[in-house]
Amino acid sequence: MSSLKDLFNPRGVAVAGASRDPTKIGHLILKNMVEYGYRGRVYPINPATDEILGLKCYPAVSTISDGVDVVVVSVPSAKVLEVIDDAGKAGVKHAVVIASGFKEVGNVELENELVRRARRHGMRVLGPNIFGYVYTPVRLNATFGPRDVIPGNVAFITQSGALGIALMGSTILEGIGISALVSVGNKADIDDADLLEFFDEDPNTSVVLIYMEGVNDGRRFVSVASKISMRKPVIVIKSGRTEAGAKAAASHTGSLAGNVALYETAFRQSGVLSVKSVEEAFDFVKTLSWNPLPSGERVVVITNGGGAGVQTSDTLADDGVYLEKPPEDFAGELRKMVPPFASLANPVDLTGMASEDWYYRSVKLALENREIDAVLVLYCHTALTSPMGVARAIHRAVTDAGVRKPISVAIIGGLEAYEAIRYLTNLKVPTYPTPERAAHALAAQIRYRRYREHLLKRGLSGG
Amino acid sequence: MTAVGELIYRALEEGRNKLLEHEAYEFLGVYGLPIPKFALATNEDEAVSAAEKIGYPVVLKIVSPDIVHKSDVGGVKVDLSSEEEVRKWFSTIMLNVRSRAPTARVAGILIQEMVPQDLEVIVGSTRDPVFGPVVMFGLGGIFVEVLRDVSFRVAPLTEADVEDMIREIRAYRVLEGYRGSPPRDLESLKKVIFGLESMLSELEDVEAVDLNPVILYPRGRGALIVDARVVLGEKP
Repeated sequence: MSSLKDLFNPRGVAVAGASRDPTKIGHLILKNMVEYGYRGRVYPINPATDEILGLKCYPAVSTISDGVDVVVVSVPSAKVLEVIDDAGKAGVKHAVVIASGFKEVGNVELENELVRRARRHGMRVLGPNIFGYVYTPVRLNATFGPRDVIPGNVAFITQSGALGIALMGSTILEGIGISALVSVGNKADIDDADLLEFFDEDPNTSVVLIYMEGVNDGRRFVSVASKISMRKPVIVIKSGRTEAGAKAAASHTGSLAGNVALYETAFRQSGVLSVKSVEEAFDFVKTLSWNPLPSGERVVVITNGGGAGVQTSDTLADDGVYLEKPPEDFAGELRKMVPPFASLANPVDLTGMASEDWYYRSVKLALENREIDAVLVLYCHTALTSPMGVARAIHRAVTDAGVRKPISVAIIGGLEAYEAIRYLTNLKVPTYPTPERAAHALAAQIRYRRYREHLLKRGLSGG
Repeated sequence: MTAVGELIYRALEEGRNKLLEHEAYEFLGVYGLPIPKFALATNEDEAVSAAEKIGYPVVLKIVSPDIVHKSDVGGVKVDLSSEEEVRKWFSTIMLNVRSRAPTARVAGILIQEMVPQDLEVIVGSTRDPVFGPVVMFGLGGIFVEVLRDVSFRVAPLTEADVEDMIREIRAYRVLEGYRGSPPRDLESLKKVIFGLESMLSELEDVEAVDLNPVILYPRGRGALIVDARVVLGEKP
């Protein structure tokens, strides 16, 4: 099997089923490709038209002289095989089959035939039954989803179509930058493991997020996921977590080894971060993709309210992260600044009197202290300060600090807090509306650090 | 054909998808797993000579492909310490089974070493359609039956995987030693887990193995399997 390099860096992409009709998927995909500014060549395929969106049309892929590595197949399922044969003969390496009407509606034979034909031509198949794929380093958006995906370092693989398109929109709203977004649909050929192998090598990707219904080859997934997890975190939202695993089995072990238990085992064994919700996944993506990896587990919490502080120490403890007394020199510096009744244990409570400048100084000191590995900053909106002012102070502290360290921020309050969250998010400082979410997202980095060290140790012991 | 291959072949030929208990022991023995001393007897004299060879006390268990719950038909007697007892219970068990399960095919009676009681654990392995061979571990009794406090790992296993799966159960502290109860022989436990993994990885005919219970002795004193079920898959 060839690698997926040419799928993500194609010289040219043909769109079979390209249409002038702006309501057709074949039109929407072409439009996204053109408007998002794809750097390679685009060839609309439509025997009935000369030109679409200013591009010259071709009657068939085989009539293009050379340089087509991918064909996006947006024709009815009954015509897909015809396109595969034509493109295969023309030497195209990858077919991205948008069309539905295969296994998902019981049409297993057609799907098997699709893969057989493609194999005969040495072609790999993405899909069928998908909304396309995105690779931002070459400005390729071959989907009928939202156009203006933010470029970044997160690769997102989704088995769900409708939810996938919606989440594609959410990434834009949440300020999450994407390297790749791949709709995998029925996974007739290319599956999660193939994509993980590519993303492991891809310098543009540093975090992978998967929305998974299931895999066909669990053993291969575990092997590939264990390998990439040593270098890059993989987050999985697995649908059907509570499905009763009560399958009839001849053995006791078989009856206990339900679907849910085995997926959870597989994720744990391969160092994959399994999450329960989309919210949790996006929260984790922000810390994992914007922060560096923590070099230890010493977290300092800075707050202006005791309640918010306690919420985070509980959340951290639930995640197996325990707060220790902050370093002496750090506490000593703060003591010069804060009122005598301020608690300088951990959480460090600057009290309700905390000014923007106190936030600036304490966050910068924490980031620069060698005995602190990660910083959690909490701000409850008070009458003395404005959320935006504090957000600016935090960002200045991050910029001015001589080192990069994991940071997570909670800004708790109303509309002004919301705007301050947007502000920091746009600057890639992970920021959340509640103390618990900020703490949990920071703990995810420590969880990943533990998984990674464990995998590395296991790798060394000759696993 | 290897000894293991022969056992599988014979069972499948006879239309059985489970090995009989003495076959299962023989099978586990080939894989170096810790099994008790045992022998199959088809009459009283054989039973007595087996018991003498094994050493008293012994356990007697009916061996039949048609009987799943051996105790329910009066097919088990433990702690027999003399020739008289063995003779008496051999015929009693045969009579019990004949009256309570008259249609059951009987292969004989298993004479098994009486194993000292201690901490019971369960080790299993099954072939999952998605993940292939997987192994399971937990403490026996209510830990597995009620609390479902078990852990799994997908093959191939590393040393670290097996250590993790042992530590992962909620009742792990029991294995570390707890209120005067000594720490357990985890090295022997690991060998049992690895044994099941290689069995399922090497033999495609084996669908699942339940070792329930395995008696896990204090550190340095090993483990012993006292009940085993080997399930075979459909011939492809």
